[in-house]
Amino acid sequence: MANEKWGMVIDVDKCIGCQACVVACQAENNIPINEEAHFNQRRAIEWIRIERYWEGEFPDVKARFIPVLCQHCGDAPCEPVCPVFATYHNSEGLNVQVYNRCIGTRFCANNCPYNVRFFNFWEPAWPESLKNQLNPDVTVRSRGIMEKCTFCVQRIRRSTREARRDDRQVEDGARELNPACVNACPTETLVFGDANDPNSKVSRLRAKEKAQDGRAYRLLENLGTDPNVTYLKKVDKGAKVATHA
Amino acid sequence: MRNGATQNAGAALASPAGVTHDLLDKHRTTGNMFRAAAVLFAVLFVLGIVGFVMRLQDGVSNRAVWGYHAALFAFILTAAQGAPMVSIATRLAKAHWRRPISRSAELFTVVGLFNLLLFIPLLWVLPSLEDGRRTLWFFGQDEVPSHSPHIWATIALVALILCGIALLWVSALPDLAAVRDSSTGRRRRLFERLAFGWHGTTKQWHMMRSRLDILGVFYFMMMVGVHFLISIDFAMALVPGWIDALFPATHAFISLQTGVATVLVTMFVLRRFGGYEEYIGLDQFWALGKLLFALSLLWVWFWFSSFIVFWYGKKPSEQKVLELLMVGPYLPIFIASFVLSFVAPFFAMIWNPVRKSIWGPTIVAAGVLIGTFLDRVRIYVAAYSIPGIGDPLVEKHDLHEIPSTVLPELPDILIWIGAISGSILVYMVATRIFPPINIWEQKELLLYRVHRRFHRTEVTVLGKPD
Amino acid sequence: MQEHVQLTQREINRDLLSGVLGTPKWWLPSVALLALIFITGVGAFGYMVNKGVGVTGLNRPVFWGVFMVNFVFWIGISHAGIMISAILRLTQAEWRRPVTRAAEVLTVFSLLGATMAAALVHTGRPWRGYWVFPYDFPRGVWMNVRSPLIWDPSAVNTYLIASSLFVFVALLPDMAIVRDRSTGLVRMMYSFMCLGWRGTPRQWRLQAVAGILLSALVLPVFVSVHSIVSWDFAVQIGPEGWHSTIFAPYFIIGAIHSGVSAVAMVMVLMVWLWGWERYITPDHLDAIGRLLIVVGTAWFFFFFLEWIFALYTLEGPEIALRELQIFQWPWSGLFALFVVTAFLIPVPLWLFRRVRRSLLLMFLTTASVNIGMWLERFLIIVPGLMRKQPLIFNWGSYQPSIIEVLMVAAIFAWVGMGMLVFSKVFPLIPLFDIKEGMVGRDEIRIGRRTVPASIRE
Repeated sequence: MANEKWGMVIDVDKCIGCQACVVACQAENNIPINEEAHFNQRRAIEWIRIERYWEGEFPDVKARFIPVLCQHCGDAPCEPVCPVFATYHNSEGLNVQVYNRCIGTRFCANNCPYNVRFFNFWEPAWPESLKNQLNPDVTVRSRGIMEKCTFCVQRIRRSTREARRDDRQVEDGARELNPACVNACPTETLVFGDANDPNSKVSRLRAKEKAQDGRAYRLLENLGTDPNVTYLKKVDKGAKVATHA
Repeated sequence: MRNGATQNAGAALASPAGVTHDLLDKHRTTGNMFRAAAVLFAVLFVLGIVGFVMRLQDGVSNRAVWGYHAALFAFILTAAQGAPMVSIATRLAKAHWRRPISRSAELFTVVGLFNLLLFIPLLWVLPSLEDGRRTLWFFGQDEVPSHSPHIWATIALVALILCGIALLWVSALPDLAAVRDSSTGRRRRLFERLAFGWHGTTKQWHMMRSRLDILGVFYFMMMVGVHFLISIDFAMALVPGWIDALFPATHAFISLQTGVATVLVTMFVLRRFGGYEEYIGLDQFWALGKLLFALSLLWVWFWFSSFIVFWYGKKPSEQKVLELLMVGPYLPIFIASFVLSFVAPFFAMIWNPVRKSIWGPTIVAAGVLIGTFLDRVRIYVAAYSIPGIGDPLVEKHDLHEIPSTVLPELPDILIWIGAISGSILVYMVATRIFPPINIWEQKELLLYRVHRRFHRTEVTVLGKPD
Repeated sequence: MQEHVQLTQREINRDLLSGVLGTPKWWLPSVALLALIFITGVGAFGYMVNKGVGVTGLNRPVFWGVFMVNFVFWIGISHAGIMISAILRLTQAEWRRPVTRAAEVLTVFSLLGATMAAALVHTGRPWRGYWVFPYDFPRGVWMNVRSPLIWDPSAVNTYLIASSLFVFVALLPDMAIVRDRSTGLVRMMYSFMCLGWRGTPRQWRLQAVAGILLSALVLPVFVSVHSIVSWDFAVQIGPEGWHSTIFAPYFIIGAIHSGVSAVAMVMVLMVWLWGWERYITPDHLDAIGRLLIVVGTAWFFFFFLEWIFALYTLEGPEIALRELQIFQWPWSGLFALFVVTAFLIPVPLWLFRRVRRSLLLMFLTTASVNIGMWLERFLIIVPGLMRKQPLIFNWGSYQPSIIEVLMVAAIFAWVGMGMLVFSKVFPLIPLFDIKEGMVGRDEIRIGRRTVPASIRE
């Protein structure tokens, strides 16, 4: 039985909004090319996206970035509503999607408060020249089913399998373990690892930042979804402290 | 087809004059048992006053100790002031079986006057809106008076009571006139005044019928309105994070169910101790039994509709509310009220032999009354035990800590006994003024129900006037 | 004052079987037209299956659109049959007699329409839709009973079976009448379907008992179906605007509001199309109008509660949703249209006796209710998804595509077509019920007044 619980820490303070993670994810996971039309239809598929919020009035305006991906919630609202068990929670803390089982009711997508579940409105298509660069480890999803971030489960599987074969532990933060987005991030905004291992970087960051005056928070925590992704607040000296008045 | 009505029961009750005579006789005499009961309830009522005085020693600033008082007020609002709906709804639906019980249901409007007394202390117990809690008066807490809940609930409650008494009075006018005409001396003068010059002209009858319809509809709307205000301002708003859009409707609905139960128990008492066996028969128990069955099904549906949304949604704020009101400190009370308000009525009333009896519906109805009382305790006592309401410094959007169970103290028990005895006493006094069986409706039935031959059998033919 | 037309059995047979034994002139063209619309919709569906759900206007975050709206709408209409038949039968309301059959048949066809709209059309892979049924024991893969989309098919199927049985039991005596008036193959068919009905006292007793039993048993199903449909939405925590405890009663009462209105429309159409004004009189419309006043007002109360509590929360997405609904074009326009057509016009009009007794006005007002109630579902589902959570980066919008419009039209055509085809095969007004009413009707003379009366056991 696996005793890992895969988790992520996202330091919003470090994010520069470069979208490298988005591109890396696109390449790793055989996500269809998002053309302009797809964006205009609001049907682009980005398992990880950079949400951009503007703060302040013109000339004194600031852009805020926050990478949002599937939060792999401990109490995922998407799981109980699927009529055919196409999405469920596995023993490693991952919220997984069974593409073959999905019938496309889109119920899970509605119940996801983070909007990180994507529907294949069309049959995915790639230009002839790109056919050979598809990742053989990842299924190409047909039209009519849901998909979402898997924490690059194919990479987790391969690295743990190889580690077991060689009779060693998977190294925390190893490139072959990390999801593509984590590897691509130039500023180390994204940190991935086993949250059950108290010595992993994820656990240490969480422990440190959860302490008094720490920066840790989780998205829409009031919904009680118990997300597996921890965000670290932006350090902003000029920001006013918001209070619950 | 009209071979003349064959009247069965050759007794005097078969003629309108006989019915009038009999019912007026029963109304005029006051039995020893009635006197004894009145004295007993008066004594118990005095006990209640003692309890209330003891309770006042604690002052109104500690809200937690007033929870049981609030529950009691809500219970009498639910049980007694819902009872007239049995008469109103069945009269609008032109059901003939209502006739013997419509008055006894409407008489409960008088108990509302007594309940108004119970409401007064709550006005001091409930804090103003200045603490910044979630409130029904959400549109700008600075723009509405900070005592809006107190003001509007009082106005609505008084309006409901006035409307109910008007309804009772209007429907009783012909009977009061009958009492007037059959009595002499001081009693005659009293009833002359009460009957408002009723002579039974066609115009008066027409007017009365349209007034009854309007007052009935208005009473129902006022009742829903009062439940709406009371349930939100005096219960839900006191529990941070409790946002249950169905609760006002559930609160009002339970009043319908409990109203039926109240009427059933009253019917039983009138039949057994009041000497009205010839009027209140199996028909009434059977019909109300069926109604109670349907309403208990609806009870569970209302409860479940709220429950599943909170339970399935699994939001922490809503889980806390469920814990407070159901599975936490008040779990035994919740289970008891669930059994008495749903399980018992459902599984007892589903059997026709039980439904079509005197004892069956009565026992179940008594259970429903207790169940509703426990339900009110669970909600109001829990809501009043939340600390921090009234204090502007405490954050009030989520419930963080579940307060422990508040148990009743001696004054609470004395107040219960006193208030329920007082309600019964008020009702008993009212039956001395208004005949507890509706004489004119009873006589009308003799006109509308005839027995005829139909081929080889005898059938009942019921008239349905427009 | 109720007017009282006493008809002989011969007249009743002749009038009410006119649609079955003969064919009205308008029948074939109207069925052909509806069939054409229906087939166009089926074609649109085929196109969608071929190309993918992309041909609709759906997007992220509005994953549910007019298909779901239609599902809720037609489930709502289907509640009318049971409302009229079961409740009125149990309360022995005399005016139900000519209406029951049409109402029940409307239930069956609108349920089938709803199933088409949701289960079949709306999923991404409709050809795998059967996975929501418990069939896959050998592989050990079962459906997820925690999902409201499993409760839905269970409840809807139960309701469909129960209401079909309901129609069938009530049809038995009437099919026997048709059997006796037909020859050859048709006669054999009706003989088979009426299960050897001879009208013996025992058969009548069984038929009556079955009717009452089904009425009583179908009522909890009727309540559960729409509650479950509402829980599809209310149990979710994703869209804040849907997560409200009021949904189950609100949907039920809304369903009754639109369903009873639809029955009133069908009643008027029966008078207009088949000329059954001796059976469906202004008295019947008057009665249904009064019922509608009560239902409409109760619905408005729940509507009021839903709104009050959305504002009571004082939470961002809720307020944003309400702001969208009342201030932003075109949603504000749709919202105004919805409130006006569903409540503000029809209910005050029904207060007037003249309106309730007029065929044309009743038809227009009840049609208006149905327009309003369709919009109500639209305004719950779509804006709720447009403003799901405070992360405004993901707020979106939605506009149905022509493919969706065609499929929606097809469902409307399907229900109309189904009713018309049914009317050709079976009498749309129960003959035996009307005759029973005629026999059981009586009068009581009180002084100078005559009061209509009826025989009771």
